[in-house]
Amino acid sequence: MEISQKVENGIVFLAFNGRLDGSSATEAEQAVKSILEGENNRLLFDFAKLEYLSSAGLRVVLGAAKEIKRRDGKFVLCALNAYVKEVFEVSGFGAIIPITDSVEAGIKEMS
Amino acid sequence: MPENSRENESLLLVDDNPTNLQVLYQTLETIGCKLLVAKNGETALSIAQKASPDLILLDIMMPGIDGFEVCRRLKADPATANIPVIFLSALTDTKDKVQGLQLGAVDYVSKPFQPDEVIARVDTHLTIHRLKREVEEKKDALEDELEVVSVVQRRLLPKGLPEIAGLKLAVHYETSLYAGGDYYDLVQMADDQWGFLVADAEGHSAPAAVMMAMTCALFRSYPQPPTEPGELLYFLNEHLCKVADPSFVTALYVVYDASRRTLKIARAGHPPPMIYQSAEKKAIEYACSGVFPLGIDPYEQVPVTEAGLHAGDRILMYTDGITERFNTNGKTYGEERLLRQLEAGGDLQPQELLTEIMKDVNNFANGRPADDDQALLLGIVQ
Repeated sequence: MEISQKVENGIVFLAFNGRLDGSSATEAEQAVKSILEGENNRLLFDFAKLEYLSSAGLRVVLGAAKEIKRRDGKFVLCALNAYVKEVFEVSGFGAIIPITDSVEAGIKEMS
Repeated sequence: MPENSRENESLLLVDDNPTNLQVLYQTLETIGCKLLVAKNGETALSIAQKASPDLILLDIMMPGIDGFEVCRRLKADPATANIPVIFLSALTDTKDKVQGLQLGAVDYVSKPFQPDEVIARVDTHLTIHRLKREVEEKKDALEDELEVVSVVQRRLLPKGLPEIAGLKLAVHYETSLYAGGDYYDLVQMADDQWGFLVADAEGHSAPAAVMMAMTCALFRSYPQPPTEPGELLYFLNEHLCKVADPSFVTALYVVYDASRRTLKIARAGHPPPMIYQSAEKKAIEYACSGVFPLGIDPYEQVPVTEAGLHAGDRILMYTDGITERFNTNGKTYGEERLLRQLEAGGDLQPQELLTEIMKDVNNFANGRPADDDQALLLGIVQ
């Protein structure tokens, strides 16, 4: 699991590469936590290269979404592959977390 | 490191040369632990077995069995395999050092040695060995506690399955790390109605077990018979929201009316039930809309889906530990395989069919152990 981050125009981008499951969830939680230490309240997860997501991965996403909600900010998930999209649909998380097809659409959603 | 903390530790010094042994003894006296000596390999092995020293300083060139062979035998015997060995030798070839380390030695000191260096290395390895032992003891203690949690948790599960007129039931439940987050329960209500709950607390081990126990306590304290699936999940969610953050619980609750053979289904983040329709000889994931998992945010409303069953139909409720079971190639078992198994039941009794399913899941995993809990509840309409 690789996580890269950047900040552009006040939006924090976290790009996930690999598998977000029980073994990488703690690392991902730390990454999210450290990037949210500042005042950031606009967060975009780029899932274009995310292959797999387990329920532990859902917890990471949920934790980030809740923190952003507390800050009255905006959070969006972008570019999910078919498998990951299905995980969000079956689990009902799609109803509480905004999802867009591409990063560009995600940026629009933020503004 | 205060000297008195070494009082209970012991060091075995092995050298065939009495002068060397004497110098080594005097050098290490300052460390403060008990010193044992051996003048040849045979004696060294015998003392190591009887006294279990915390560290062995081992000369290589000795008459009889040499230091390399002593080390090999120490490592081959489970009783002495964990004792760290430091080679102490005039052999200074890299080849000899590498051979010593490959045999499982933790360090290698060349002779003639500097007393301070030997003391420092011995001290370091004694500390590492002690810490390692402490970590192992703590790990054992934690595992014991987790096993206790697991035993308590299993007591929360229903004892046996009820006899229901017109519906035969079977269940399979296994946890991945002693205690688990999977939960199933059954409740009998008036007018031939039965409630079946399958839930999965995110994660596994102790934290998931606590959430599982909470869900169980809430389900059993529901103030009236839970005939309305939507209202039950609403209630569980309302209370789990107070404690779950940032975790959550997925749940599937089904009310079965045994006299009318009808189902009412509500689902919170959990996979929908699979239903085998005997008329079509086909198993499907029964489409039912749901809400996100329990313990995150209050619900506005929980949708309920109704369905009818016929003789020969099968209904399977399961947790994603089954469909997300990985094999050695990193592939998951998936819904399709489970549907095919449910279809292939033939005349099998529910428990036999579950055994077949678990056989198939384990064959698929190809020896890779489960990293999540696995639960299945199967009903076959008579």
